[in-house]
Amino acid sequence: MMNRFLDSDFFHDFLRAPVALISFCVVLILVLSAVFAQFIAPTNPFDPASLELMNGFTPPLEANMFTGEIFLLGTDDQGRDLFSAILYGLRISLFVGLMAVTLAMVLGVMLGLIAGYVGGWLDNLIMRLADIQMTFPSILIAMLIFGIARGLLPPELRYEMAITVLIISIGLSEWVPFARTVRGSTMVEKEKEYVAAARLIGLNRWQIMIRHILPNVLGPVLVIATITFALAIIAEATLSFLGVGAPPTEPSLGTLIRVGQDYLFSGEWWILLFPAVTLLALALAVNLLGDWLRDTLNPRLK
Amino acid sequence: MSFVVAKGLTRNYDLSEPLIVRALTMRPKRILTAVDNVNFSIEKGTTYALVGESGSGKSTIAKMAVGLLKPSAGTLIMDGKNLNDPALARNEQLALRRRIQMVFQSPYASLNPRWRVGDIIAEPIKAFGLIDGTKAQFMRVSELLEQVGLASSDANKYPHEFSGGQRQRISIARALSSQPEVIVCDEPTSALDVSVQAQVLNLLKALQKEYALTYLFITHDLAVVSTMANKIGVLNKGKLVEEQSPTGLFSRPQQDYTKMLLNSAPSINFG
Repeated sequence: MMNRFLDSDFFHDFLRAPVALISFCVVLILVLSAVFAQFIAPTNPFDPASLELMNGFTPPLEANMFTGEIFLLGTDDQGRDLFSAILYGLRISLFVGLMAVTLAMVLGVMLGLIAGYVGGWLDNLIMRLADIQMTFPSILIAMLIFGIARGLLPPELRYEMAITVLIISIGLSEWVPFARTVRGSTMVEKEKEYVAAARLIGLNRWQIMIRHILPNVLGPVLVIATITFALAIIAEATLSFLGVGAPPTEPSLGTLIRVGQDYLFSGEWWILLFPAVTLLALALAVNLLGDWLRDTLNPRLK
Repeated sequence: MSFVVAKGLTRNYDLSEPLIVRALTMRPKRILTAVDNVNFSIEKGTTYALVGESGSGKSTIAKMAVGLLKPSAGTLIMDGKNLNDPALARNEQLALRRRIQMVFQSPYASLNPRWRVGDIIAEPIKAFGLIDGTKAQFMRVSELLEQVGLASSDANKYPHEFSGGQRQRISIARALSSQPEVIVCDEPTSALDVSVQAQVLNLLKALQKEYALTYLFITHDLAVVSTMANKIGVLNKGKLVEEQSPTGLFSRPQQDYTKMLLNSAPSINFG
């Protein structure tokens, strides 16, 4: 299995594409450092007891004027070590992005399969819904869903549920591209004779959709998932930047950028810069990887 | 009574514009009759061939025979049972469907590319609950593969690892796996090259002899017809215009349309 992968065209192309290689390495480093944050980070930024207010606004690699402590990337207004905060924030950004994409993918693929296979009024209903949603910017949809969900939740749950609500609102705002692609490929696949053969032995719609058609329409979905993953990370950061995402007690990259933005013009540039550069590197690398995947897996571009 | 009987078989397609457009333009409904009052009967263990040019309705008849399409009018009767009886319960319908299977035209589109050949052939066995136990099912799949001239080890391969002719053999093995009595062959050789065509036709003939299979053979290739069929029906624009034995059809075609069809077949004259 491994040997077959190392021998494949896909792997060969990958080694010859510097952009893909570098992007992959960037994503890998960021993901690994987020996963192993508790072993790498010198402090736990989510633990309020470990914060020392006197450490606030320490510039990178300079000794704090009261405590004499030195921080690699400096500290924020609360005296939180920025390097640790970025690693833990990255973890939240990646987790939210991954879960949101999974939700969008499952929802979009199922709706696309049903619309494409069943057709008729159901197809019309689902695709018109998708069209309507496409006319709004997805960040607006996410904010709308976020607002409604927050309004429905009792106040004491708002902070606890913030991440879940964030995932649902981003997931629901990104299902359309999955549904459109899957619907198109399903309409092509359902006319093929292997589907007729499955109908001949009395399989029902669900069995045909899940067992026969689904495996044949998943190829493009993985490409869309990669690109949507980058969009979801940015959407999370945007929502958190606007103050409606991850709570300040568990800051994601977007929350850190929002905090940093307040101090940019008073000279504390590092609070904004480092989280922003991390977010940029992550989103750019995932996006470039997605673009490369799309081009490589599309036989017409070869 | 014959084993398979088609009585007044008709299929219409509604090609009309939407109701609102018709109301505005005052145009009438447009109905296309793809199959028009077709009657034929097939004796058990014989081959009935339907020939005709593209659009003559022969594939529509094949689809109605296996239940992929419902007839607009008329009935199809197999072994005394109406295949499209709306009063039939779902399990009775399933039991009837098991007995009439199909081999498709395209050896490329008729096998799911993501499934192993063994799973493709085992699927009807599982769907109809014919054999219990994975091991017994596996044995049956091996047996079927050998019967159609493939190796039992081919069960672990994917369809793209086979040639067109081999894929058509897999398709035949799948059709056989539910132990049918009637097989509808929808142009099973038209996508194959000539040398492979003969092999597949010989396989179908051998299987017919062994299991007393009844074939409804859809084709536009008259050379195929002459080797396979016991009786030939000629379709033109959805109507059955002539019915003959192969010798009769080739020596004394009755209809102008049949003569045209015979003359349009390419032949090679040496000398």
